[in-house]
Amino acid sequence: MTQFVVKPGVKNLHHEGEKMITTHCCYCGMQCGMHIRVNERTGKVVGVEPRYDWPVTMGKMCPKGVTAYQTVDHPERITKPLIKKNGEFVESSWEEALDLIEKNFKEIQNKHGKNALSVFGGVSMTNEKCYLVGKYARIALGTRYVDYNGRFCMSSAAGGFMKTLGIDRGSTLPWPELEHTDCFFMAGSNTAECHPTTIQWLWRARDKGAKMIVADPRETPTARIADVHLDLKAGTDSALANGMMHLLIKEGYVDYEYVNERCNNFSELKEAVEEFTPEYTSKITGVSIEKLIKAAHIFGRSPRSVVMFARGVEQQSKGVDNVCLYTSMALLRGQIGKFASGVATFTGQGNGQGGREHGQKADALPGYRKIDNPDHVKYVSNVWGIDPSDMPEAGVSAYEMFDEIQAGKIKAMHVICSNPAVSAPNNHYIWDGFNKLDFMVVSDFFLSETAEFADVVLPATTWAEDEGTTTNLEGRVIRIRKVKDPIGEAKTDWEIMQLIAERMGKGKFFPYKNVPEIYEEFRLASKGGKADYYGITYEKIEKNDGVFWPCPSEDHPGTPTMFQESFGTPDGRANLAAVKWQEPAEEPTDEYPHTLTTGRVVFHYLSGTQTRRTQFLMEKCPEPYVEMHPNLAAYYAISDGNNVYLETKRGSMTVKARITKAIRQDHVFIPYHWGKELSVNKLTNPALDPTSRMPEFKVCAVKLMKA
Amino acid sequence: MKKVMYLEFERCIGCRACQAACRECGGHDMKERNYVEYIDFTESRQTFPMLCMQCKDPACAKVCPANAIQITEEGVVLSAMEEKCIGCRNCTFGCPFGIPKFDFEENKMYKCDMCYDRTKHEIAPMCASVCPSDAIRFIDHEEMMELRRKRTQMNLIEGKKPSENDKWQYVPEFFGVYSD
Repeated sequence: MTQFVVKPGVKNLHHEGEKMITTHCCYCGMQCGMHIRVNERTGKVVGVEPRYDWPVTMGKMCPKGVTAYQTVDHPERITKPLIKKNGEFVESSWEEALDLIEKNFKEIQNKHGKNALSVFGGVSMTNEKCYLVGKYARIALGTRYVDYNGRFCMSSAAGGFMKTLGIDRGSTLPWPELEHTDCFFMAGSNTAECHPTTIQWLWRARDKGAKMIVADPRETPTARIADVHLDLKAGTDSALANGMMHLLIKEGYVDYEYVNERCNNFSELKEAVEEFTPEYTSKITGVSIEKLIKAAHIFGRSPRSVVMFARGVEQQSKGVDNVCLYTSMALLRGQIGKFASGVATFTGQGNGQGGREHGQKADALPGYRKIDNPDHVKYVSNVWGIDPSDMPEAGVSAYEMFDEIQAGKIKAMHVICSNPAVSAPNNHYIWDGFNKLDFMVVSDFFLSETAEFADVVLPATTWAEDEGTTTNLEGRVIRIRKVKDPIGEAKTDWEIMQLIAERMGKGKFFPYKNVPEIYEEFRLASKGGKADYYGITYEKIEKNDGVFWPCPSEDHPGTPTMFQESFGTPDGRANLAAVKWQEPAEEPTDEYPHTLTTGRVVFHYLSGTQTRRTQFLMEKCPEPYVEMHPNLAAYYAISDGNNVYLETKRGSMTVKARITKAIRQDHVFIPYHWGKELSVNKLTNPALDPTSRMPEFKVCAVKLMKA
Repeated sequence: MKKVMYLEFERCIGCRACQAACRECGGHDMKERNYVEYIDFTESRQTFPMLCMQCKDPACAKVCPANAIQITEEGVVLSAMEEKCIGCRNCTFGCPFGIPKFDFEENKMYKCDMCYDRTKHEIAPMCASVCPSDAIRFIDHEEMMELRRKRTQMNLIEGKKPSENDKWQYVPEFFGVYSD
């Protein structure tokens, strides 16, 4: 297989004494193409070169992508297993660490039963590893308790797409088609900061006259260029979408031929949106009537439109409803399954798409199979070589695992590729949960805030030290190549799971010698499922610039555009959403009079474990801040740079003020990438969506004062 | 070198990828030579990138008493030559755009050289390569001129000319590329 992939005629700068290895960024779902520069003599990673011919990103990168390679040979990498002795981490051998894990895992299971162990996974890993996390939990440890950080990130989109379209593929169209779209309706996505390399496609379309409608409480760098900025109150997306559909129906913008032929529930939807007149919608959302009407006309009159959304609408206690409603907007216009139009969510984590499809979720098995479906269990058991009766039942969602810890049911946890001590809502509860555990193992390559709670920390590899595949935000399966050998004694996550499986006497189920062997088994495990990867091979990915799932056989070209003929529901028709207005779990009160919303900045990724260790990114954004409107600041006599004390029912923090008119007067915003005293998730609300079990990070009531 | 740098300030999203990428260029010693500034953070999140204009008759070179700032045959204004620079900082004051930076530890100036090691091979500079919104581009002169005309044409209705007072009437309410 080729290490350096480049198309004829594309020029890159080759430095003497260096080789280039083609791969993708380790951060968000864009999975930007890049070549990593390696010094041939020392074998060290020395830099990055744009991959001009990667069709999704064309060599573009954000500052995180440019500096991503700097975490690989970083001085703070954990290079040996660490064991906590008398409250201090001490370097140890793998033998000693594994002995300790085996002893504790076995003791705990003997005393409290199989389900006393739990696994908390993540999706910033390759498909091969994400697939293995589910298998590791269910076979090696034999526990039902496995879930992953996608619950904080993607699960509402997944739930909404499943309900409406029958299949959860993040984007129904390939990204390069965005260039030909006439209108983008974007809700709760600060694309310019969170998925910056998408902006090039939006501008290409805008240069030809395309319009942009952005719904966001803040005038983000994305909303700034919108034709209409719907500055809604956080947590009112369902009202906004209903209001838009009310206008689409009233103004005659519905594609009735498409709706009659391909959708269910239109009459229910029509009835549900009846009350959402512009006046009523405006009252709930705080958006002016003129803007609502203008947005509906632009969206309704666009021949080709894409509805896009992200965490802003998903991280709510009604995230699934929001996704269903926004998706219904695209359906009413007859857009899904056609060229340059459709619906898309911006996957937050690198492999947020692939990682959620293959059994890392409490109730899911590979290929988007369900653990409560006996046929699905039978198929996967067959691939794994176990008796179907040995398959544990469904577990609980990520945040609810901490309820189980508090209830004394979960006694030990293995955290893989995640940092819930920062990224989970209601931090104090999470920290208390970690302290209550009898035994905790963390696999990571930096000593994250979560790792600090652990009894044993196992040194994992970075993305550049292992190979595999990921699935980007389009649903395109792509190749991650190994750039160099692991640093120190670090091992890949799959090797770590394999070693522990051996210690638990389940080694024969994990016989892999290399990643392609895992991939072969994984292809088979996904075969026939909704997310079918069976026809995707490493060679095909390399040849075709990635392959879109579903791809059921090796001669199948993959599926760039979804739902061209029918939807993934049992009757092949999409289910339009009929949803009543429901308030966010927490509304402003006299005591907590303002709304706090959280999000990302362009310089950091998730809990910041990697980006807070990158010099350039820390120079540009060293600490969190609270963004507030000058009128709100004036009310509390706060000037730019003053310390502000913020408090919710769950916690408090003090941060510096940044005053800008680019936010609603009744809202404040704090980015969430920092841990401990700087973590805004001490304040956020863990109210869960009833379907996706995703917490409401985006809305809570807050009080504030000058500190 | 047939290509030129083209900046479209409105597109800048303030991500500073250009600055991170600038550090990556060979010979840039991990120091960025370009700028991204807010217009007025209190008012809006609008930012703009700023690079060396590669002036035809550069003030920085003119005011250099040591003749340390060389101009290549393609017209790229390079950083001061290490052996010649006397650290007087005249260039940093002389440049009307405030481009040259000064390294007080090394006592020498450094500035954007349009990634000369790349551009001399017609490979785009790092900043233009990575800019996610194409606010910074490295394109043919022809293409640049075409873009300039296109930008204005997009905002006009054919055959009429707006004046200062009524120009917004000429911005169409909606026009799609594929409208039939």
